[in-house]
Amino acid sequence: MADPSNPGRNEVTARRRNAARLPLDGWERSLLVLLVLLVAGLCLSVDGFYPGFAGFLALTENFLPFGLVALGLTTVILTGGIDLSVGATAGLSAIVMAELWSGLHVSIWLAAVVGLLAGGVLGAVNGLIITRLRTEPLIATLATSFIYASIATALAGPSPPAGFPDAFNLIGTGTLIGPIPLQLVLFSVLALLFTLLLQYSTFGRRIVMVGYSSEAARYSGLRIDRIVLSAYVISGVMSAFAGIVLAAYYSAVRPDMGDVLLLSTITIVVLGGVSIFGGEGTIAGVVIAVLLLGFLRQGMLIAGYSDMVTTMLTGAILLGAIAIKNILSGRGTGLAALLTRIRGRRPATTGSAAE
Amino acid sequence: MTTLPLPAAGVPEREMSAAAPRRSRREVREITLIVATALTIVTVGLFNHGFMSTQNLRFMLLNSVVLSLVALGQTLVIATRGIDLSVAPVMGLTAVVTGLLAQSSGLPLVGAVGIAIVLGLLLGTLNGLLVARLAIPPIITTLGTYSLYSGLVFVYSNGTQVDSVPRAYATLGNGFVAPFIPVPIAVVVLAVALLLVWFMLNHTRFGRAILAVGNNDAAAYNAGIGVTGVKVRVYALSGLLAAIAGLMFVCYTGSATVTTGTGDHVELQSIAVALIGGTAIAGGRGNVVGTVLGSLFLSVILTALVFIHVPPIWYSAGEGLMILVTVTAGMRQNRGGAN
Amino acid sequence: MSYAAAETAPVAAGHYQATEVTKTFGSVSVLRGVSLTLRPGRIHTMMGENGAGKSTLFKILSGLLRPTTGELRLDGAPVAFSAPHDAHQRGIYLVPQEPALMPELTVAETMFVGQLPTRAGFPRRVDWPGLRRQAQQALSSLGLAIDVGQLARHLSIAQQQQVECAKALLRGCRIILFDEPTSPLTSHEVERLFGIMRRLRDDGCTLGFISHRMDEVLDISDDISVLRDGALVDTVDRSGFDRVRLLSQMVGREMRVIPRRTASFSTGRPMLQVEGLAHAPRFHDVGFTLHEGEVLGLAGLVGAGRTEIAETIFGIRTPDAGHVRLGGDEITGLAPHAIIRRGLVYVPEDRARHGAILPMTITENITSGLLDRLRQRFGLIDRNDEDRTGAAIVTQYRVRCAGIDQPLRQLSGGNQQKVVFGKWMGLQPRVAILDEPTRGVDVGAKDEIYELIEELAKAGLAILVISSEMEELVRLCDRVLSIYEGRIVAEIEGADITPARVGQSYLSRDGLAA
Repeated sequence: MADPSNPGRNEVTARRRNAARLPLDGWERSLLVLLVLLVAGLCLSVDGFYPGFAGFLALTENFLPFGLVALGLTTVILTGGIDLSVGATAGLSAIVMAELWSGLHVSIWLAAVVGLLAGGVLGAVNGLIITRLRTEPLIATLATSFIYASIATALAGPSPPAGFPDAFNLIGTGTLIGPIPLQLVLFSVLALLFTLLLQYSTFGRRIVMVGYSSEAARYSGLRIDRIVLSAYVISGVMSAFAGIVLAAYYSAVRPDMGDVLLLSTITIVVLGGVSIFGGEGTIAGVVIAVLLLGFLRQGMLIAGYSDMVTTMLTGAILLGAIAIKNILSGRGTGLAALLTRIRGRRPATTGSAAE
Repeated sequence: MTTLPLPAAGVPEREMSAAAPRRSRREVREITLIVATALTIVTVGLFNHGFMSTQNLRFMLLNSVVLSLVALGQTLVIATRGIDLSVAPVMGLTAVVTGLLAQSSGLPLVGAVGIAIVLGLLLGTLNGLLVARLAIPPIITTLGTYSLYSGLVFVYSNGTQVDSVPRAYATLGNGFVAPFIPVPIAVVVLAVALLLVWFMLNHTRFGRAILAVGNNDAAAYNAGIGVTGVKVRVYALSGLLAAIAGLMFVCYTGSATVTTGTGDHVELQSIAVALIGGTAIAGGRGNVVGTVLGSLFLSVILTALVFIHVPPIWYSAGEGLMILVTVTAGMRQNRGGAN
Repeated sequence: MSYAAAETAPVAAGHYQATEVTKTFGSVSVLRGVSLTLRPGRIHTMMGENGAGKSTLFKILSGLLRPTTGELRLDGAPVAFSAPHDAHQRGIYLVPQEPALMPELTVAETMFVGQLPTRAGFPRRVDWPGLRRQAQQALSSLGLAIDVGQLARHLSIAQQQQVECAKALLRGCRIILFDEPTSPLTSHEVERLFGIMRRLRDDGCTLGFISHRMDEVLDISDDISVLRDGALVDTVDRSGFDRVRLLSQMVGREMRVIPRRTASFSTGRPMLQVEGLAHAPRFHDVGFTLHEGEVLGLAGLVGAGRTEIAETIFGIRTPDAGHVRLGGDEITGLAPHAIIRRGLVYVPEDRARHGAILPMTITENITSGLLDRLRQRFGLIDRNDEDRTGAAIVTQYRVRCAGIDQPLRQLSGGNQQKVVFGKWMGLQPRVAILDEPTRGVDVGAKDEIYELIEELAKAGLAILVISSEMEELVRLCDRVLSIYEGRIVAEIEGADITPARVGQSYLSRDGLAA
């Protein structure tokens, strides 16, 4: 608290920003160390995890669709919202694309673009329900996820289209510039774009303001509804993108193909350091979390563990990471408070610090 | 509740006018649900008499038991301003564990009940400890344990599944109380659970503490309520009810697989039903009777869709619309009451 | 009963003594060795600037915080609390300014939270009829007629405080501390609260009170303690009450007499014209003209509709009728972003909720209003330009901070307010509406805010000031409009703007008592 009787430190110059504003904060750095250790450990201990550089990079094709959804979901969570419809949106968009291609004989590329647009529309529906009807994001997107899933199943019919053109399938399985998977290139470009969008643009600043306090943002003249709506549209488009990449990867679509995305992506975003309450978080953290969980899962699968065991481990890591974060920051009671006391810091109190 | 006459002397006009209708909102929700359910039954029944048959009514009731049990626990958790996504794998794990033991080694029903209780309390308590002790947001905690517990189901079942259960189990799931009393035992189980939870929530100190915590946990702490303990116990109860639901599921259907619970998204369905029943996602208000009525309404609607030949693929869309309509309408209603 | 007599009297129940209490948060020391005694049958008031440590002291006395060092003695025996609940059991209760509400529970239940009465027998069930009866009785005993069956969220803040008093009694608490209860209340409600406090005092309760309002403090207190920078400056009883001395003790220097602004700027062009503006039921038929370089005050009780008028002009609320023109252009019904673009800004009363985003940095707060004006490339913010903008405002508005990247929440109230001012003035608006511009600002920093406002007016800005502080209006305004129950009831100009004249003008429908 500043002391009014001490007029010192009045002159402030435009000095460089402190560490908190650098792309990598403490949390991201810890995740990065963990990622390096994990990859190194897997390379050394799991046969076949590193079958050469190309094979190693090709592993990413198995999990980058999660990353695409995570980028969009991060945008929504930064506003303090949540999108439970990402999986259904991915499935429905991919089905729309596939049906256009097989049923109406539209070019697969045009169909893919329509699929992306469909994702945007589905996101807009979410956003409109949230901003116009003032429904909680959790409830609104829970409801639309049911509706989108139904529509996807209805559109797909008993035998959904499969066997897309090889050129299209390359999105999921092809490489660019030597051994680098096309998916990885796409993801890297989009991750960079999202970093610029969310952390360096006026739009991103507005998203963060809404996430911290939508009331204060409104009194600052921000058009909250428009910002929130765009966040859900972005999430919808990214989900659709993931759905299309999955379709290309499998050269097939299924209405429930997006179901696996939802819980894993929320895990990724939260592990990446994005606050579930909005405002805080970086794309760098989310990207590292995508790689961390993705490589872990692939390593475990290659080592012969089942998918479900890796799911279990993912859950444990999420809980462990957030628990450690809370213990270090002195939140919580019992164990956390005990550790805080040992470290000689003030435990969380119910009252505010001073008047 | 009895009403006491207000002292009339010297009462400023403004303060008297602030008196609001009490408890009306909850009753309105319950009546709406009952009327909606009855209307659906009568309307569909007019076109298809089979819909109104005793047998079908009993089926719809029986069909709502499992979800109702899970949603009862979910309602308590939501009332504390929390959320429990892990109910689905807790239900699945219990179904698989008890079902497999019964199938392979003839575990007696009493043993299965014991296992369900222990499993549910254990897994639920872990959720509660993470939420209350380590201050991890409920949605993240139960997302993590969702993965953990689904993994456990897989590890335990190791690919095998339950195809049939012993007679005692099937009776619990499908049988009548007595040959001459055509009331399904499962419905009695639900009724007892509802009665206990309702009594607890509305007439015991612990139940009121749940609502106090959901209203304002800092204030509840200051008033001497053990907030941590309340939260731990609420998640434990949610786990317990989900586990009992799992046991009822395996008894009712005679089958259980790795995806039991999680495959049908029971976690999302239970949230939906609680919201339809009038529980507020913002916490502080829990309506367990509404929850069960909501679950029954859902069961009736879904069965009605079958009777009017709507393809099953649209069932989940119907569910989604129901959530939107009821929650949005409920919000309007609340706003009206506040003004 | 004289102070000295109380000192030597035998210890009666309800003597609550703090000895050498200190409290530090990290390296910041908030209380430095405070010793005082609250006595039964007396109202003991804490006075001091914001940040002097009054609230912290009350939080320690009521078990919300633990003292770093020092001792609390209740009737001579040392006590220590690990939570407020412990304090309740020893008979000590804190009534906060805005009581923590349990909106979805009935009033009766909120009064018994944590100790609901139960009926004997198994299972032990809550005794609802008994609870309602006891709750109603407790309120009646204080002369209150609040329906205990309604949901708590229907209560006004005044009623919530009244319910808190009854709660204290229900818990058998005889030592009741009021943490600045009167600032959100209307004068009628304050009178009602004081009635309750006097009744409790005459009944032998020990009362603690915090307030900033000198008049009411002198009216209700039996003892006054002045705190400054966390230390006790003085404790006096009624015989030692002296307005000027108390003020100088609070500030730590001699108070100068508030100077009345001499220059009048109301000759400028009309800038903001409001005609027949209405928003039922908050205000009706409000019309006025604000000129370039003029400072126009809106006086009135809390709840008279002044903030609502401002929010309607700013576009947060939609008017039912009427027109607002800004420099001749119609802006009625536009959204805030459009109104800001046309040159009208609003500094809201509640800084933490509306005015600023406290976890964000100083710079980010400053540039949040003018993101579109920063230099950009492909929609990306030029960070250097942003830093320069932030630093320029910080320097210009004399914000005391460790750096422009400091989170806003680390600053004092006064410096936060300067940042909020800077954020809006960076847009070079034509009209500014300032809602309680010195709320939560230390006495020392208030002068700086006043000087800023005067400078801005001198530079031609048209300013509408909403204030509940008479001295503020007298010092700043060229003209004052008094609002009573949503209507303008008086207009006071120039030399007529005196505390007495303004203070009386908004207390009745006809606007003049003078």
